[in-house]
Amino acid sequence: MQVTINNKKYRCKEGETILDAAKRNNICIPTLCYQEDFKSSARCRMCVVEADGRIVTSCSTKVCDGMNVFTETEKVLRYRKLNAELLMAQHQDSCFVGNKNHDLCKIAKDVGLREVRFKPRKDVMMDIKGSSIARHNEKCIVCGRCVKTCKELQCVHAIDFASRSHHTHVTPFFEKSLGEVLCINCGQCIINCPVEAITEKENIDDVAKVLNNPKKIVVAQTAPAIRVSLGEEFDMEPGTNVKGKMVSALKRLGFDSVFDTNTGADFTIMEEASELIERIQKGKNLPLITSCCPGWIKFAEHYYHGLLKNISSCKSPHEMLGSLIKSYYAKKINKNPRDIVVISIMPCTAKKFEAARKELKNSVDYVLTTRELAKMIKSKGIKLRDLKKSKFDDPLGISTGAAAIFGATGGVMEAALRTAADVLTGKELKKIDYKGVRGLKGIKDASIKIGNKKLRVAVVHGMGNAKRLIDSGIKKYHFIEIMACPGGCIGGGGQPIPTNNEIRQKRIDAIYKEDKSLAYRKSHKNPTLIKVYKEFLGKPLGRKSEELLHTSYVKRRLY
Amino acid sequence: MKILQKTNLEAYEKAKRLGSKKTVELIKKKGLTGRGGGGFPTGLKWEFALKSKGERFLIVNADEGEPGTFKDKFIIENNPELLAEGILIACHTLSIKEAYIYLRGEYNYLKDRLERAIKNLVKKTKAKSDIKIVSGAGAYVCGDETAIIQSIEGKRGQPYIKPPYPTDAGLWEKPTVINNVETLANIPLLLLDNDWNNNLRLFSLSGNIEKPGVYEIETGTNLKYILDMVKPKNRIKAVYFGCSGGCIPVKDIKMEKESVARCGCMLGCSSLIFVDEKQSIVDMATNIAKFFEYESCGKCTPCREGTMRVLNLLQEISLGNATKKDLQTLEELTYFVRDCSLCGLGQSSMNHLITALNFFRKEFEERCR
Repeated sequence: MQVTINNKKYRCKEGETILDAAKRNNICIPTLCYQEDFKSSARCRMCVVEADGRIVTSCSTKVCDGMNVFTETEKVLRYRKLNAELLMAQHQDSCFVGNKNHDLCKIAKDVGLREVRFKPRKDVMMDIKGSSIARHNEKCIVCGRCVKTCKELQCVHAIDFASRSHHTHVTPFFEKSLGEVLCINCGQCIINCPVEAITEKENIDDVAKVLNNPKKIVVAQTAPAIRVSLGEEFDMEPGTNVKGKMVSALKRLGFDSVFDTNTGADFTIMEEASELIERIQKGKNLPLITSCCPGWIKFAEHYYHGLLKNISSCKSPHEMLGSLIKSYYAKKINKNPRDIVVISIMPCTAKKFEAARKELKNSVDYVLTTRELAKMIKSKGIKLRDLKKSKFDDPLGISTGAAAIFGATGGVMEAALRTAADVLTGKELKKIDYKGVRGLKGIKDASIKIGNKKLRVAVVHGMGNAKRLIDSGIKKYHFIEIMACPGGCIGGGGQPIPTNNEIRQKRIDAIYKEDKSLAYRKSHKNPTLIKVYKEFLGKPLGRKSEELLHTSYVKRRLY
Repeated sequence: MKILQKTNLEAYEKAKRLGSKKTVELIKKKGLTGRGGGGFPTGLKWEFALKSKGERFLIVNADEGEPGTFKDKFIIENNPELLAEGILIACHTLSIKEAYIYLRGEYNYLKDRLERAIKNLVKKTKAKSDIKIVSGAGAYVCGDETAIIQSIEGKRGQPYIKPPYPTDAGLWEKPTVINNVETLANIPLLLLDNDWNNNLRLFSLSGNIEKPGVYEIETGTNLKYILDMVKPKNRIKAVYFGCSGGCIPVKDIKMEKESVARCGCMLGCSSLIFVDEKQSIVDMATNIAKFFEYESCGKCTPCREGTMRVLNLLQEISLGNATKKDLQTLEELTYFVRDCSLCGLGQSSMNHLITALNFFRKEFEERCR
């Protein structure tokens, strides 16, 4: 069918919206509440255009043959500007038009808004009681992106709209705090908020305080996923690996040692692969489900009590490394563990909640997100781009390619298979790429032959996909990897904004590139790990390992 | 009044004899249009539903929320049997097993009377349809058909964008026919009466007049004639078509859709509020703006933020604090809210102000600095 847009004829597909058609032909229409892959709710009314003489929202109006669309008439532009003005008045922030980097500011700038004629509102509500996520409702413009993300993408249903008219606001039920409800702290709402009304609960000040305390030894550890995303905060191409510069920046910030969480990930694989082999041999509590993702853990603790016995008892990599720093490393440097402060830099907001769990004492003290680290670096005036590269510190600095891919969906699965296959067959297998579990497909299902055994595995990312997989029955699987965020940790709630599928893919590519570049690509070949087991831990699932590297879960209520 | 006629299930028997197809044909031929304000041809709506597959639902819209409208209340109060018969005919014709009457929360005192009438007829006809009465919780926006669906489903009463239209996917995603009380009450009448005429409507007349109430008047009647009937207390200055239809100065004008539309107004569900010369249009506007500010569901920006800013500006004007520039901002907002809002509530919430600024601009300007 043919549609005229701004006096030019275009071929359009049946069923597509005006916005789809415009985008495909490089015609720019501003959008705010619109999210790709979601059904449009058309509530912000920013994307209005004139179609056949009527004002319509382009995100929700389907094209029809012979339609005549104008995207930039005087009326349309006037309405968009007034819309931005009203939203700016609702969004009370110190930022004035265009001086911040979020979507609303960008739109305000694009539509040419210079002044806001309306007075700011008086009702100010804040929710900062949770350990991971803070909500600043005074900035919220009720676009509903967070609600849709929480409901449709993650199937968590922690937040929804309450009240009506201009009192409408987003809130957990009964105006509770996010920390008191079944929110899993995944932070996908943060990634999707166009006005920074939802953010991580910042720990920058706490960290600055310990860095200034000369009595404390402050140790940083960095997650696999942040080295390929931190650069974006400093205007580098998505997928730029800034590992070396990041370590230098952390040293400049005053951290005494910088370790690699990837080393922790190698320990996780040793323990988890052993657990998998044990369960397969005993035929008990299968499928084994991964435990690296604290968002998924809390989801299961609320929604799937029956699955808690299936979830691996392994701590997540940074918690394992945290425990080792405060035991093995403390002994090495002859210090009291109480004088060591461990700070994890994570792509994740749920890790903040995890670090505060009472089952996980004596390991990580504070968690910073990628964005928080970027803020700290910027506030010190450090130019990341110009820094020289440094290496992670010993003795917990060496890691393998298996650990590197933890950051991408399917990574934990692949890393575990690399080790389990070697152990089960007793050989050193050359084939170590398991491509069937890679990629951005929501639910990945694969059969893998190891020796004469066939393993049925599944990999899901995004809580909604996990729910769909679990509800469809998981008895047939041996091993399942579940990550709460789309794309895995590289798409985490603490990552730079924007995060979209294109950017996710670039970060994933960078991670697999790092895997290929490393000397060791199987966790059990990591010399550091072999040494620590020999000197300190004994064997995987041994007494000391169970004490330091494993944890337990609790049943939580829905409301 | 025709609407008070007792039909004693004769129409139901006739519809049964005719069968679905012929009944719908007849409704189409007689030209019945929706009486909720939209004026969509009822026969066509039923035909769409008849073509859809699977289970169907009927929703009776008795959420008469428009200020100055009380005709549905009049029917339920005085002739609930007629409405009940209309519902039974709809259920039979469209093979509907479940019907919901969405009764305005404030009309709860009529629930028993309506329930009794329905039970009575169901018993007499041995109809197998289950007819439930659902109470609204007091939101004006739930008069919108998509919001009614959400509300009955137990969700937040908020409209959503069409398509899909309710006749394709409505209540619980199933094809759903939504009809107004007066529309359904007219079904038995049109089936029985050869002289039935779609132009005969119920008018809700109120305001500063001696004889307010529900009148059965033919559309197209001159306003002056109606004015004589209701006996105004003072000289009438303006007529409001409910809160959402806009207003006009009193003049020679036919009370029909097209003539009223030419003045920038909507006749809607035929409610006229008479305002006399002792009342101020600015105060009227502020009052109505308060209503819409309160009743906005909060979903879309223009209605949520716009109605609130409009009210603030009008209050400033009332107090004499506003400037001519503020009046300009006000006017800019009215058109924005009208053109960009998501549902009928927002789109019509500014009609009163746009027309008031058009016909009575002086009153606003006099209050500005």
